[in-house]
Amino acid sequence: MNFKYLTNGLVKENPTFRLLLGMCPTMAVTTAALNGVGMGLSTTFVLIGSNVAISALRKVIPDSIRIPAFIVIIASFVTIVGMVLEAYLPSLYATLGIYILLIVVNCIILGRAEAFAFDHTVSESLMDGIGMGLGFTMSLTVLGSVREIFGAGSLFGFSLFGPNFEPVTLMILPPGGFIVLGLGIGLINWITIKAEKRKEAKAEETSTSQEVKA
Amino acid sequence: MKDKIKLDWGIIAKYGFILLAITVVCTLLLALTNRVTEPVIAKQEEQKNIEAQQNVLPQANKFKKVKNLDEIKKEVGADGDIIESVDEAYQNDTLVGYAVKTTPNGYGGEIQMLTGIGTDGKISGISILEQSETAGLGARSAEEDFQAQYRGLNAKEPVEVEKNGELDGNEIEAISGATITSTAVTRGVNTSADAVDKLEGDK
Repeated sequence: MNFKYLTNGLVKENPTFRLLLGMCPTMAVTTAALNGVGMGLSTTFVLIGSNVAISALRKVIPDSIRIPAFIVIIASFVTIVGMVLEAYLPSLYATLGIYILLIVVNCIILGRAEAFAFDHTVSESLMDGIGMGLGFTMSLTVLGSVREIFGAGSLFGFSLFGPNFEPVTLMILPPGGFIVLGLGIGLINWITIKAEKRKEAKAEETSTSQEVKA
Repeated sequence: MKDKIKLDWGIIAKYGFILLAITVVCTLLLALTNRVTEPVIAKQEEQKNIEAQQNVLPQANKFKKVKNLDEIKKEVGADGDIIESVDEAYQNDTLVGYAVKTTPNGYGGEIQMLTGIGTDGKISGISILEQSETAGLGARSAEEDFQAQYRGLNAKEPVEVEKNGELDGNEIEAISGATITSTAVTRGVNTSADAVDKLEGDK
């Protein structure tokens, strides 16, 4: 099926580290690993829902009113997520607070609606939603884990270093968010550039060997 | 000269209708979700209130709202505005303390909290009911570790916030990076103590 759309969001077009979308919730909630997972999964649900709905309606919604239509659909999904979380996962709802409702203005969602769902089939959009959502969840979890380990000495709430650990409070404050995010982007870029160079070198090798043969 | 914009009413009506249809469907979905989740949320809220009251006054099993709330607020003075309610707490029929709900202002808006004060003049516990403080910083005021610090402190004297260093006397340790939140919660506690003081003085 459309697995290339699924993996797309995980690494190559990872929303956080590659596309740099949705930075506001990324910075705000990644102070702990669990918050990252919660925010990531909530966003994933909204993303899948809005991608599928918008893709299904892409022939019905005229081009000139697509933005208000998108916003209404996205806002509805966000409100549903908010109500369901408040009812069934109140502790998570309490920690994420206002950022749940702010998923509405997360650029990833409107961005994928514009750039993908509006001119792809429902199943492709579904795959894209899952991939982008999981990519976002993964990045938030990684950021949250790093910040929690250094800033609070724990991971997913479990203490790692015992009571004598002096937490680096800077890491759970906004500057820590920027530092970890910057290092993450740098690392991912370094890996991609290296991988590309290796690919190029390989391509060159095969072409020269072909020349020799000829 | 300006070009005259020609309005195509047919298109406007058609697009308007499409938007209307989308919003109607969305509204229906929202109403449906609300119907399912509303009672669950309301039940949780109620449960949370009772639990919080028992949390701050473990020995109590009956709560009764005091009637002269406005008078108490006036007597407390400027800080009286943040008092939401005062409940007398009974164990069977003996008065064992008071549960005071306050809403001091934190870093991210109002913090809703409950303070329990025993008839022995000691703080028996506090509980944060609702807050929108920064996740990982001020939001940690909702954790047990922070709230436990208030337990057993003297309600007859103001509680103070210690940012770093030794705790002595009637003090609590601030959450690192969240002094504003810590101070706000302490203000809620002190105002509650004031209210109880005035209430007992009236008797």
